[in-house]
Amino acid sequence: MTTATMTGGYVAPAADEHWTVPPAREPDAVNRLVSAPLLESSLWSWRTWWIGVAVSSALTAVMAVCIVWLFIKGIGVWGVNSTIVWGFAIANYVWWIGIGNAGTLISSMLLLMRQKWRASTNRFAEAMTLFAATIAGIFPILHLGRPLYFYWLTPYPNTMTVWPQWRSALIWDFWAILSYILFSIIFWYVGLIPDFATIRDRAKTPARRAIYGAMALGWRGSARHWRAYEILHLTLACLGVPLVVSLHSVVGMDFAASLMPGWQETIFPPYFVVGAMYSGFAMVACLAALVRWGFSMKALITVRHFEVMAKIMLVAAIIMGLSYATEWFTAWYGGEHSDRSLVAFEFTGAYWPMFDALLFCNVIAPQAFWFGAVRRNILAVCVIAVLINIGMWLERILIIWNTLSHDYLPSMWRLFLPTIWDWLLMFGSLGLFALMFLVFVRLVPIVSMHEVRRLVAEENAG
Amino acid sequence: MTERRHGDVTLRHHHPPCSALDRRAALKLFASGAALALASCGRPAEEVVPYVEMPERLIPGVPLRFATALPLGGYGRGVIVTSMEGRPIKVEGNPRHPASLGSTDVFAEASVLSLYDPDRSKAPRRGTEIPDWSAFEAALLARLGQERKRQGEDLAILTARITSPTLTRQIAAMQKSMPQAKWHRADPIEDDAVRSGATLAFGRTLTALPRFADARVALMLDADPIGPGPAQIRFARDVTGARQLRPADDFLRIYTVEPSWTLTGALADHRIALRPEFIRNVALVIARELGATVPHAELPEGVLNFTRAAAADLKSRPGRAIVLAGPRQPTEVHALCHWINGSLRAPVDFIEPVDAVSAGHMDSLRTLAADIHSGATQTLIIIDTNPAYEAPPQIELAEAIAAVPFSVHLGPYDDETAARCTWHLPLSHPLESWSDLRAFDGTANIVQPLIRPLYDTRTAHELIALLGSAVAPSSHDIVRANWQAQTGTADFTAWWRQTLQDGVVANSATPKIATPAAKLPQIAPAVASNSFTLTLAPDPAVWDGRMANNAWLQECPKPFTKEVWGNAVQMSPADGKRLDLVDGDLIRVSAGQAPLEVPVILLDGQPDGVIAATLGYGRPKAGGIGNGVGVDFYRLRTAGSPWATAGIEVTRTGRNQNILRTQHYFALEGEAEELQPRLRLAELAQGHALLRPVDADPPTLYPPHDYDTYKWAMVIDTSACIGCNACVVACQAENNVPVVGPAEIAMGRDMHWLRIDDYIVDGRPGFSLVPCMHCEHAPCEPVCPVAASIHDSEGLNVQVYNRCVGTRFCESNCPYKVRRFNFFGYADGEEYGDLGADIMKAVFNPNVTVRGRGVMEKCTYCVQRISAARSEAEKENRTIRDGEVITACQSACPTRAISFGDLNNRDASVNTLRREPHAYALLGNLGTRPRTTYLARISNPNPDLSS
Repeated sequence: MTTATMTGGYVAPAADEHWTVPPAREPDAVNRLVSAPLLESSLWSWRTWWIGVAVSSALTAVMAVCIVWLFIKGIGVWGVNSTIVWGFAIANYVWWIGIGNAGTLISSMLLLMRQKWRASTNRFAEAMTLFAATIAGIFPILHLGRPLYFYWLTPYPNTMTVWPQWRSALIWDFWAILSYILFSIIFWYVGLIPDFATIRDRAKTPARRAIYGAMALGWRGSARHWRAYEILHLTLACLGVPLVVSLHSVVGMDFAASLMPGWQETIFPPYFVVGAMYSGFAMVACLAALVRWGFSMKALITVRHFEVMAKIMLVAAIIMGLSYATEWFTAWYGGEHSDRSLVAFEFTGAYWPMFDALLFCNVIAPQAFWFGAVRRNILAVCVIAVLINIGMWLERILIIWNTLSHDYLPSMWRLFLPTIWDWLLMFGSLGLFALMFLVFVRLVPIVSMHEVRRLVAEENAG
Repeated sequence: MTERRHGDVTLRHHHPPCSALDRRAALKLFASGAALALASCGRPAEEVVPYVEMPERLIPGVPLRFATALPLGGYGRGVIVTSMEGRPIKVEGNPRHPASLGSTDVFAEASVLSLYDPDRSKAPRRGTEIPDWSAFEAALLARLGQERKRQGEDLAILTARITSPTLTRQIAAMQKSMPQAKWHRADPIEDDAVRSGATLAFGRTLTALPRFADARVALMLDADPIGPGPAQIRFARDVTGARQLRPADDFLRIYTVEPSWTLTGALADHRIALRPEFIRNVALVIARELGATVPHAELPEGVLNFTRAAAADLKSRPGRAIVLAGPRQPTEVHALCHWINGSLRAPVDFIEPVDAVSAGHMDSLRTLAADIHSGATQTLIIIDTNPAYEAPPQIELAEAIAAVPFSVHLGPYDDETAARCTWHLPLSHPLESWSDLRAFDGTANIVQPLIRPLYDTRTAHELIALLGSAVAPSSHDIVRANWQAQTGTADFTAWWRQTLQDGVVANSATPKIATPAAKLPQIAPAVASNSFTLTLAPDPAVWDGRMANNAWLQECPKPFTKEVWGNAVQMSPADGKRLDLVDGDLIRVSAGQAPLEVPVILLDGQPDGVIAATLGYGRPKAGGIGNGVGVDFYRLRTAGSPWATAGIEVTRTGRNQNILRTQHYFALEGEAEELQPRLRLAELAQGHALLRPVDADPPTLYPPHDYDTYKWAMVIDTSACIGCNACVVACQAENNVPVVGPAEIAMGRDMHWLRIDDYIVDGRPGFSLVPCMHCEHAPCEPVCPVAASIHDSEGLNVQVYNRCVGTRFCESNCPYKVRRFNFFGYADGEEYGDLGADIMKAVFNPNVTVRGRGVMEKCTYCVQRISAARSEAEKENRTIRDGEVITACQSACPTRAISFGDLNNRDASVNTLRREPHAYALLGNLGTRPRTTYLARISNPNPDLSS
């Protein structure tokens, strides 16, 4: 099969442009490259890694302190108030779950669409998904006034025979996150089985052989194994795509299934899905650059990967811009005073600098991706990706702040003033994410070896 | 206390034989120990006897109600206090009392909190010693021995305004035994000009009591009859009663000219802001229009038009028109108003003053200071007043008191004055005391205690009695003996019981006297001045400062500014612009002496050149709650003109301070008219109904609820809401609503279940009360993931605290934002200040759950009162009658602006009110179908002035 047919309608790369570059054009070279961080750690200077671990552990400790303090004092330590009862916890949750979208997206949707370039990025994107979704799952619990009773959201048998209230979007959300995290773990692990087997086979110490061997679940690489694997993987991918879409649709419904101006909009579910993919891709681009640099994977993660991700981000930026414009238009067209005044408040109210920054980061800055030179400049892609992530975070917090600060009754309009604990918890969660990622890169092959081997084989054949 | 007996009873009952403990005995011991710990009382040393039969009337869990009275500015307001197993927990009005009419005010509602205030002084103090009362009695006796020899020549007593017949008589008796002893009476909320104005007009001091019920046009010259004060409830009821829906010529129209916002000004149909000194010119113009030969007075064009229109209106309604001047106006203006009222045959009653002391308040302070300086006063007894804090600084009374060789302070707190006295003695709270009080109209009632004194305190009666004899009788005996002597009834015991039960001494109002002829006073018009004038007023929350340690009052949002925990000065936006100030900027205000630094609030409707402030703040020794809150404007008070200080210099400091307020963070964008519709009486008469009737609900997909029992609803008449806050504090007291403190307010958190929204339309503020709407399609219900916010069978939107996990989705989705979240354990271990003190738990209403940290709470329509009524009705096998359930806010409301009842009862008043043409549902267009609905604010402007 040729590249062109493999990628469907996608513009095929020129003959000399491949998704891998020569040092990695042999299956064994791929194995060597990918398993080196795990098995030949003496070849590496781990100084940067250790610095990273130190910094992220410190931030994780900060997060732990924040959580302990939160549990001791109550959520009054945050800036939430009687009017803006939601704050950073919900915004962080939505942001992290958005990040957590891209891994599954790359793995499942691109797999189903036969975008084979995904092979070199999907492993760490899936890991990113898992970690981000886990962190996202923590925030709704921390957000609760009485977090010890979070399990009341589950339909467990109890003497009061009280069940959750199924009309609440938060219950839908609870199930969406839970199923998504469970799915992510399974999908990620299934994809790892052949690679664990490869590591087992290459391991030099009995302990590693035993551990990786156990995790490989007796994989022998037989045709039967491969067939079962392919069926399972594809099936999971088929499950994954609707899950990804439903997850973020439900997150959007947390807002859309309400009565508040600026929230009760039917556009929210799709707009949240796109937003999530957008921020997720931006995060993948950043992590890809780091992995590429940190583990010398220039041969596997090429400039072309960045270029294609930049194109996706550009499309998403345009969709986001259209969504914003649609919101403004419907507010005007609907003629509801509260909707119109909310839009005016977005542009001119107390949070306008943040709102302008959000428009710049999410809509204006990514327009640079129209230019091939920018798309092929990894640094530029990373800078814009970071901007996108900042913009998406601003969007999450402003959805909450603007609506709750400026809803129906002006007598209760107030502003949100974040406290130090809001900021520390947010940066702490970034630290935890980084720590999990840093640990991941030393325990698990960061690139899917078997899929890249196949890619290489196909490219060599093509 | 009853609990103490309870605890002991349990203990004795279970006292085990100390032999072998079996399992049952051990469990019993454990249970009795736990019961003892719960009762948190120690076992007395003496033998106690358990009651074999229940004491009469005491059924555990069933509250008892006693009539008594609470003083404000010395005058009594009759109240009925609910006592729960010996603890007074809630104050309600006494319908038989003319100064209560069944309603209360903020101060009365908050008084139960002051009773349990842990900062109250608990024992006598001399310097740093804590001797007991007998030591004081010995010291006093020794001192009195010398005094008696000199006929009390250098003895002086200083009190605030006293209306208690018994105490007045006691003081008179003491003065008889020591003829040279002096009694000085000085209340910081003084009325010298009011009294001297009457003296000037009539030749003798009389008190004028307007009959608003008979008035159809009223002009208020800086008068605020419905503002805070001892007659507030009565006047507010009369004024709003005369403004019920009726033909326009039968509807009381109010014109107000005032130098700062008052509740009367907010209610008025026409209001003009004017410098206080110019208000006399308005009075002069009115008088000239009525034919008086008074000097011509200049007024700006707009004010002149207003005055002429008002004068024409007044003139056209002889016998039904009334002009009132406020205590801030000078003597001559009061006298002139008496003349005007005379020529209008105004509906005003005259009585002999209830406060019989003829000397002026400020004169009394001056005399006392002079006496101390000259050595004429060597022994000073200060009873329940705080002159060291309240006296104008030019009198230098604080320094003088410290120089008195033997000074005694009897007061509820070890305050600024106590610090300067030789002795400080703790005073019993009115709810712990036997006494008597007279209302503003002279009606007397007996003050009976609800609880034995919590600490080693005494009443003023007991202290005055000590001055007469070594062995003082109890205040009960003193008060009873006095009334026995007064009434002369044969069956005094029956009279006494009946009077205590009624809470009012029958037919004791001061008799009205025939309207005397008023003399036209000599009065010169005012001329323009360029400097700032500072107007002062008693504070709507802490009155004269004596309530400063009451956290409910400190956290009660003031009308107009919605400020809490402070008293920023109000300034006109034009002045603010001129001085380059924004809200919260600190300004330096001085009148020659040491300047004060105060934050400023720019308020539309404040006249240029006038800054307005309230008294009662900036206290250094109020207690843990009130210390250092706000700024002390007594420092800028002058004895000559206590309510307005002219020649004030205002400079900006360039610094800013966050003003703590619960509203007004944002400028309005034109929503106000929709959210608080206002109608003119004429429009209503022409059939202009409101935009949407209450029941014009948008369509829904949900099936209708079936309410087969009750269908509770509330209707709030915004025309009658004067913004007095009585309901807000009543709700707090009834529903155990915690105080959050200034730091939390600064974070934008508050816990009041009930708020008064203050919207400004055409420059006029209007108040509307916002409790939970109890929506039939409540947006809070479907969003709660754990079903903690649910709909009950009677249509109440209830919050199950135990089930709440604190997602706060309900408050996010509440368009009215009436839900309140316990971000901290405001009542659950993280209380503000000392509100978590053990004694403070006594104020809790046991019928309402005290909410823990992390749960949402909100207005329940006083569901505990509905339950009580339901069980009463079920006992009698009937349904609850209309008017049987009275919510706490409804009960407090002086103007009866709140109605509550069952919509399934066709005759219920709420049903009628919901069908009124000016009924509306707040945000009814959202389809929430609120059970709380409103009646639009009706005004009756003069067509000649409407343009």
